Amino acid sequence: MAEITLKKKHETEGGENKSHIKLTTGDIIFNIINYAFFFIFTFTCIFPFYYIFINTISDPTLVTRGAITLIPKGLTLSNYKQMGAVNDLWNSVLITFLRTFLGTALMVVVSSLAGYLVTKREMWHRQFWYRFLVITMYFNAGLIPWYLNMSMLGLTNTFAAYIIPGIVSPYNIILVKTYVESIPAEIEESAFMDGASYWTIYRKIIWPLSKPILATIAIFGAVGQWNSFQDSLILNANSPELYTLQHRLYIYLNSSSNLGAIMSSSTTDVGNLATSLNTKIIQYTISMVTIIPILCVYPFMQRYFEKGLMLGAVKG
Amino acid sequence: MAKNSTADLLMGSPVVRRKEAEKTPSERIADKIYWLLRAAVVANVVMLFFPYFNPARLSGMINRNLSLFSCGVSYQSIVSNFGRAFRQGWVTEGTFHALNLCAALIILAVVVAAAGGCMSLGNRKMKKAGLVVTLISGLMELGAYFWLRQIYVAIVNEATASNRMKNVEPLYPVGINTLYLVLAIIYIVCAVGIFFLIPAPEKSDRFDMEPKFQLFLMMLPIIALAFVFSYLPLYGWRYAFYDYKAGDVLSSENYVGFKWFTQLLQNSATKRDIVTVLKNTLAMSGLGIITSWIPMAFAIFLSEIKNMRFRRFVQTFTTIPNFISWVLVYAIALAIFSTDGFINTMLNSLYGAGHSTNYLMSADHMWLKMLAWGLWKGVGWSAIIYVAAISGIDQGLYEAATVDGAGRFAKMWYITVPELIPTYCVLLLMSIANILSNGMEQYMVFSNSMNRESLQVLDLYVYNLGINSGLIPLSTVIGMVKSVVSVILLFVANSVSKAIRGESIV
Repeated sequence: MAEITLKKKHETEGGENKSHIKLTTGDIIFNIINYAFFFIFTFTCIFPFYYIFINTISDPTLVTRGAITLIPKGLTLSNYKQMGAVNDLWNSVLITFLRTFLGTALMVVVSSLAGYLVTKREMWHRQFWYRFLVITMYFNAGLIPWYLNMSMLGLTNTFAAYIIPGIVSPYNIILVKTYVESIPAEIEESAFMDGASYWTIYRKIIWPLSKPILATIAIFGAVGQWNSFQDSLILNANSPELYTLQHRLYIYLNSSSNLGAIMSSSTTDVGNLATSLNTKIIQYTISMVTIIPILCVYPFMQRYFEKGLMLGAVKG
Repeated sequence: MAKNSTADLLMGSPVVRRKEAEKTPSERIADKIYWLLRAAVVANVVMLFFPYFNPARLSGMINRNLSLFSCGVSYQSIVSNFGRAFRQGWVTEGTFHALNLCAALIILAVVVAAAGGCMSLGNRKMKKAGLVVTLISGLMELGAYFWLRQIYVAIVNEATASNRMKNVEPLYPVGINTLYLVLAIIYIVCAVGIFFLIPAPEKSDRFDMEPKFQLFLMMLPIIALAFVFSYLPLYGWRYAFYDYKAGDVLSSENYVGFKWFTQLLQNSATKRDIVTVLKNTLAMSGLGIITSWIPMAFAIFLSEIKNMRFRRFVQTFTTIPNFISWVLVYAIALAIFSTDGFINTMLNSLYGAGHSTNYLMSADHMWLKMLAWGLWKGVGWSAIIYVAAISGIDQGLYEAATVDGAGRFAKMWYITVPELIPTYCVLLLMSIANILSNGMEQYMVFSNSMNRESLQVLDLYVYNLGINSGLIPLSTVIGMVKSVVSVILLFVANSVSKAIRGESIV
């Protein structure tokens, strides 16, 4: 008897078909509670995004009156169209896209090169240099020395402040190193026999073969760049033209109901806009602009979660 | 293993690389001189970034905290204080454009010198070429030295002509300039000297370098970046011993020793702040540690859901909040909990108007609220690691337990939980090591006039103190103490891990 149930259980393992297993009342109650809990929690993770979204595509007057709660009414894209009049918003979008693209690309190239190089035992004092890089993960001088250092280097109030400090990322170097070590050594050896240099081997063999891990670090790096806010806040505080989208959003979220602070004075019809747009709508719409790129890459990210896990585990 | 030993063999084989001829005695002497040359190059590169070693600060009006590198790359940084001087004709812009170019020339010379230094690691042919490069850089630096003198004279002349010596305050950093002169001479002399010590390469020789140095040189830029952005900030710790305000210069005059350290312990206002801040930090980290089992429970109960489609749905959507920034989390908080947010709108439509509580403005239970936001954002993501671990558990264990009559909870408690404990321990130890660093973004975005007091954690306090209030030395001291304590905690956590599990976590 036990054997039969076992077999059945085994067959249904991970499957959706449960009809063969007899459920006790306790099981049913447990399942109801369990499903309900996860359903509610998942709902709280989705609903805020949905709520903000329906408010941005609804008629502004209804939004202002607080009439949009569960379903969008009076569908319109005017809220998005009017974002052009918001001070420097598109500038911030551009800056953020640029830093995400450049910062991620450089980080990936450098991580992959460094990850390959640290696997090479022939390197002069390899162990020392590898430790030299890894130690930086566990120790930092603190916010103020970091800031003073950046200003000493002349990186305050520059776009480069977003890119250069993030190029060397020890954690990603470790990830690439681990991956490169798993590539069969024979491939590299045969290239050596043909007289290929390290650089050629890196470019022609290591780079193409380690693409899966590079995709992983690229995607996590890009999300990090997109979300990054502290560098804009601390290093570029005096250069509004360099504010990232997150920083801009933070400012708008805090500028309560002061439309004048948000709308650019150069626009002639600020008055008109003010009647149709209020702070709330602006905040919602900018939030949406900030979220959408993340939601767009999210489906592609999912298959890299497993690899990215290590990332979360080590960083704690 | 095999890969590397084979590679080593290959390196020595004639197929790949021609073995360099035996070193001659004069070449051995050259090797020693090379170390002087390389040390000079490294020193020169480092000097570029230190304001103290700026030979281009030819006027008191140039910011003291400007390094030669900044002077070379940015004309604006040199003349940031010169608006009036230019307008009233104390000095001319042309002179300072020349200064900017001269600084750029020195930077170029140093880059060239660095290239020459790198080439010194190659074979004879490459060494010889490298020496020519070094010679060129030496000449460039020598030229820049005389050019700087001329610019200085020009500034003096202009200031005298406009009778503004006092304002323009021409300077000639003799020591630093002599240092640059010495470096230029070292380059030239070493380059010429070594050139004659190294035997001529054979005609058939090609440019080549030993693999160990090739690899090292490929790594060098990465090492340099890591040094500049991760090690160099440590040099900023010296601010902790000075009475420094933005724009000041560190000198023996404002050296105060351990004043800020003692103030931390003695000044009652600071002490009160620190106590509050530490209370907040430890409370919130503590709450995080106490609830650190929640992602594990989340994963265990999630794995009890047998409907794969629903499970995937839950996993997909509970992970999203992890990938949005804290600013966006705050935007969501505003959308839901503010005066005209979702909750008030709902209450108004259900129970009539008059509901306009701004839930974000209250100061009650801030620690718990922050914990809740942290969990909302992180639990789905943190659970993934446990979900992966659960799927790796041997199914036979569960089957055996079923045979023994174990129920659902017994299996969870006696099989799943013990299997997950090692993973949990690592994460727990890491979070204990990070007890002082809970980041500032979350607390910064959520703070307002009502709840500021209970949200001020250590990281945020350092930011407010250092960046907003400009108390750089005091905030550096706090950061220093924090860094040191964090490292100690990490070591302790690591030894605990080693003692208990026989594995290190770092």
